[in-house]
Amino acid sequence: MDERRRGNCGRRWTSVPRRTFLKAAAASAGAAALGGIPGILAAGQAPAYSKGTKLHLLQWLNFVPAGDKVFLAQVEEFARQMAVAVQVERIGMNDVRTRTTAAIEAKSGPDIILIPNNLPHLFGDGLADVSDVAEAIGKDQGGYYDLPRANASSGRRWIAVPQFVYSWAWNYREDWLKEAGITKFPETWEEFREMGKKLKAMGRPIGQGFGHSENDPNNYVYPLVWGFGGYEVEKDGKAVVLDKKGALEAIKYNTALWKEALDETGLSWDDASNNRAFLAGSMSVTGNSPSIYFVAREKFPEVFKVINHAPMPKGPAGRFYQLPTLSSAVMKYSKNQKLAKEFIRWYMSKEQYGKWFEVMETFAIPPTKMWYDHPVWTKDPKLTVFRDVIKDARQIGYAGPPGRKASEALAKYIIVDMFVKAIQGDKPEVALRWATEELRKIYGA
Amino acid sequence: MPQPAESAPATVLSKPTPIRTAAFGLGRLRRASRTERREWLLALILLTPALVMLGLFVAYPFVRGIWLGLLDSVVGREGQFVGLQNYAKLWNDSIFRRTAQNTFIYTGCATFLKLTLGMLVALMLNNLVGFKRILRASMLLPWIVPTVLSTLAWKWMLDPTFSIVNWILYQVGFIRLRVDWLGGPVMAMGSVILVNVWRGTPFFAITLLAGLQTISPDVYEAASIDGANAWQRFWKVTWPLLMPVTMVVVLFSVIQTFADFQLVYILTGGGPANSTHLFATYAYQIGVATGKLGEGAAASLAMFPVLFMVVLFQLWYIRRGEGGKGGA
Amino acid sequence: MAAVAGARWKRWVFLYLPLGAFVVVTLFPFYYMAVTSIRPDQEMYIPWNRPNFAPFWTLRPTLEHFALLFRETLFVRWLLNTLMISTLSTVIALFCGLLAAYALARLRFPMGGTLGSGIFVTYLVPQTLLFIPLGEVIRNFHLGDTPWALILTYPTFLIPFCTWLLMGYFRTIPRELEECAQIDGATRVQAMVRIIFPVAMPGILSAGIFAFTHAWNEFIYALVFLSSAQNKTIPVGVVSELVRGDTFFWGPLMAGALLGSVPVAFIYSFFVEQYVSAMTGAVKG
Repeated sequence: MDERRRGNCGRRWTSVPRRTFLKAAAASAGAAALGGIPGILAAGQAPAYSKGTKLHLLQWLNFVPAGDKVFLAQVEEFARQMAVAVQVERIGMNDVRTRTTAAIEAKSGPDIILIPNNLPHLFGDGLADVSDVAEAIGKDQGGYYDLPRANASSGRRWIAVPQFVYSWAWNYREDWLKEAGITKFPETWEEFREMGKKLKAMGRPIGQGFGHSENDPNNYVYPLVWGFGGYEVEKDGKAVVLDKKGALEAIKYNTALWKEALDETGLSWDDASNNRAFLAGSMSVTGNSPSIYFVAREKFPEVFKVINHAPMPKGPAGRFYQLPTLSSAVMKYSKNQKLAKEFIRWYMSKEQYGKWFEVMETFAIPPTKMWYDHPVWTKDPKLTVFRDVIKDARQIGYAGPPGRKASEALAKYIIVDMFVKAIQGDKPEVALRWATEELRKIYGA
Repeated sequence: MPQPAESAPATVLSKPTPIRTAAFGLGRLRRASRTERREWLLALILLTPALVMLGLFVAYPFVRGIWLGLLDSVVGREGQFVGLQNYAKLWNDSIFRRTAQNTFIYTGCATFLKLTLGMLVALMLNNLVGFKRILRASMLLPWIVPTVLSTLAWKWMLDPTFSIVNWILYQVGFIRLRVDWLGGPVMAMGSVILVNVWRGTPFFAITLLAGLQTISPDVYEAASIDGANAWQRFWKVTWPLLMPVTMVVVLFSVIQTFADFQLVYILTGGGPANSTHLFATYAYQIGVATGKLGEGAAASLAMFPVLFMVVLFQLWYIRRGEGGKGGA
Repeated sequence: MAAVAGARWKRWVFLYLPLGAFVVVTLFPFYYMAVTSIRPDQEMYIPWNRPNFAPFWTLRPTLEHFALLFRETLFVRWLLNTLMISTLSTVIALFCGLLAAYALARLRFPMGGTLGSGIFVTYLVPQTLLFIPLGEVIRNFHLGDTPWALILTYPTFLIPFCTWLLMGYFRTIPRELEECAQIDGATRVQAMVRIIFPVAMPGILSAGIFAFTHAWNEFIYALVFLSSAQNKTIPVGVVSELVRGDTFFWGPLMAGALLGSVPVAFIYSFFVEQYVSAMTGAVKG
C-alpha cells in the first residue's frame, strides 16, 4: 500500500495525468495525514491560495552546489503546482541568526527559515508549531534519530522540521599515515595522540581549529569532553557539573595533544582554514565534513586519491559526536503558514528528498532512519563512515536538555575557549573553573 | 545635556565665531523682534528635514533600545521590566570586562598609529612635488573598498597556512618560523589593529594634508629665521596650527573605531578566547547569537556613555586649547 | 655641489623611501587581490613555506573567477544597487545636512546649540543597538526588501557628519557675502541658495564623498533589511554567495572586492582635489 502510493506520487509530477493520480491518491487511506499536495487534494481541501501569494524561504548557502540546483528545481515545481511564487534567499551561514532575530522582532520577513543547530529552541517563541508535518514525515520515513529530534522539538511540540544533519568525520591522508607506520586509524584518543606524535614529527601534524567559528571547533571540543566522561550540566538542565568529572582530563589531554600532535596555528582557524590547509598538504589529519573530499575530487586529484575518512576515537566514556543540524522552521508571524507547511512537506517527501539527498552525496545525513540503507552511502566506500556518525551524536548541552541555555553556552564558545585558555598557558584547573563559572551564570539565570 | 557639550562642538570647526546660541534662552522668545522671529522660523524650517529623518530612524529605535536594555527580553518574547539587572550582569561578566579592556586598547592603539602615520604621510606628501594627485587617489583605495571584502582579503593574507605576509617576512629574513597572526591574544589584537590602521590611515593622511596646505609658508620662514629646526618647527608651528583639523579627524575616528564591528566580526569573531572582542561584537554576540535581546541592548548601550565621555573629553580639550589662545 | 647631493640624499631617505614604502604597504593588498582573482584554484592552495609558492604572479592566469562572478552571481546588479542606494542616501544626507548646517552655523535661534549637539549625539548611537528596533520601523513603513529601506536609513549616520563638516565650512564663509546680497535686495533664502551654497561647493563635495563611502560600506542594515538576491548590495551579496559553508571562493571574492572598489576610486580621483580643498576650507576656521 505504502509502496504503491509512493509510486503514484512519484509519477504524479512527471507523467501521470492529474485525474489518474487523484483516483490513486484517494484510494490510499490516510493520504491526507501523510501528505504534501497530494494529501490535500485527496482530502478534498484544494488549496485556496490567492493569486500572488508569495512564499519566502531563507537558507544559508550550503556546500554542495548540485544540491542547491536540485532544490531550486523542486521549488519551481512546487510553485508551478500550487500556482504561487516561491522566493528562495540564500545568505552566509553566520548571518542566519542575525536575519532570524531581526525578522522575529520585526514580525516580518521570510516564511520559512532553515535554522542551524539547536537554535530552533532559541527562537522557539517566534516559531510556529509544525508537529503535524514533522510527525508525519517521521512516521513515513522510519522515525527520527535522537539528535535532530532534540534540536527541533521541545517535549511534544515540534518547532521545526529537521532537514538534515551535517556529516563529520576525521579526514586523513592514507599515504602519510602509512609512511608513519600506521595502518589503521586509531580507535581511541590515546592511540590518536600516539599517531599525532609520529605525524607531527614528520612535519605533517593533525589540524584542529579552536577559533570562534561555528562548526569545526565545536564538533571537536564537545565530543572530546563527552568522550572523557564530562558534561556541562545534569539532565535537569540546572546543576552545572562540568568540573565534576572528565572535563579536566579532556583539557589535559588536549593541551598535551596540542603540543605533541596538533598544528599550532589552530587557535585562529575558522571552519574553512582546515579545508584549505589539508588540501594544500600541510597536515595529514583533520576533522571535517566531506567538503574537503569533494573539492579534492574536483580540483586536486592527487590529494583525492589518498584521502580517507575515519570515525571519532573513543574516550573512556565512549564515542560521541556533535553535529550541526539544519531544520526548517515556519515563522509564527508568517501569513502563509499553511502554504509554508505544505512546502516543507513537499521537499521533505520521500521522493523529493531522495533526489536531493542523493546529490548531496553523504554531506547531508537525513534526520530519519529510512535512508540508512540508501546506496548513496556505499557508492564510494570512503564515504560510508559518514552514515553512522549520527548514531553517536548528542545535542549541545548534553546531558542537559537542548534549549536556550545550551545555545548560549555554545554561542559564547565557553567550551572552545576553555580549551584555548589551557593551550595559551592557563592551568587546566583554572581554565575549567572559568568555564564552570561561566556555565553557572548561564544555567543559573 | 551638560553645558560644555552644547557649545563646545561648535568650536571644533571654527574658533573665531563666538558661540551666541548657547546664551540664548527661551526667555528671549518673548522679547524677540520680528526679524529675530523670522530667523527662528527659517531655522526651524531648515532643520526640519534633518530632524525628521533622525527622529524617525534614530530617535524611536534608540528609545526603544534603551527600554529594551531594561527588560529581560529574549528573541520572540517581550520581557519583564528588570531595572538595571542587565547592567549588573554585565558588570559581573568576565568576558564583558575583557571586551571593555580590548575596546580601549584597540581604539587607543589604532587611533594613535593612524594619527602618527597619517601625520607623517601628510607631511611627506606636503613636501612632495609631482605625483600628488595619483598618490592621493591611490591612497584612498583602502578606505573605499567595502570593509567586509578588504577584511576577507586580510584574512587570506594572514592565514596561518598561506600567509603571504609570512612569506615576505621570511624571504626578507625577519622570521625563521611562521607567525600565527591571529592565534595568540597579543598577536591577534595586533593584527586587528593593523588592519584597522591600514584602512584608516589614508583618511587621516588626506585630511591632515588638507590642513597642512592651509598653513602659510610665511609662518615656517619666520620660524626658520628664528633658528628653529625641523623638529621644533613641527611642534611649535605645525602641530598647534593643525590642532583643529587633527581634533576633528581624531574625534570621528575614535567614534568609528570604538564602535567597530565588521572588521573583528570577520577577522576573528572575537577569538581566540575573547581576546579581540569589542563592545559591538560582544553586544552582537549576546543579543543576536544567544538571543538575549535585553542583555544585548544593555551591552550596546554600555558603550554609549563611555563613548560619550571620550567625546566630551575631546571637546573639552579642544575648547581648553582654544580658550587659551583667546578664542571662544 | 656637495650640498645639493646631500640634499638629494636626504630627500630620498626622508621623503621618497618612506613614502614609497607606505604606498607599497597601502596598495599591496590590492595587488594581492588582483593576483588572487586571476589565479587558478589549484595554485591557490600552496602553503607559503613551499618552494613553489609564487605569491606575486601566476603562470597560468585565468578569468574563470571573473566569469563565475558575472555568470553565477548578480554582481552587476549588486553594483548598480549599491551605486543607486549610496548615491540617493548621500543626496538625502547632503540635503538635510546642508540645510541643518546652515541653520546651525548662520542663524541665531533658541536651543541651537542643543540641537547641534543632539544631531551629533545620534552619530554615537551604535548600529548594533539600532538594527533590531529599526526593523520594526521598516516594517511599519512597508519598506522591507526595497532599496528605500536603506536609502532612508543610511542618512541617519550620514547626516550628523555632513552637518558637522558643513557647519565648519559655512563658518569660514564671510558673513559679508550674504549681507551684501541682502542689501542688493535678495532675501535671506535667496542669498543662501545663490551665494552661500555655491561657495560651499567643495565642502559639499567632501561631505558627499565621505557619506558615499560610508553608505558603500554598510553591512548590517543591508543584511537585515533586504532579502531578494536582486536587491542586495555588494558587501552582502558577495559574502552571501561566495562563502559557501566552510569553503571560501577566494578568486571570485577577491575579484568582487576589486571591482567593488577600483571604479569608485577612479571616480574619486576626479573629486579628490576638490575634496582636499574642501577639507581645507572646513578646517581653516
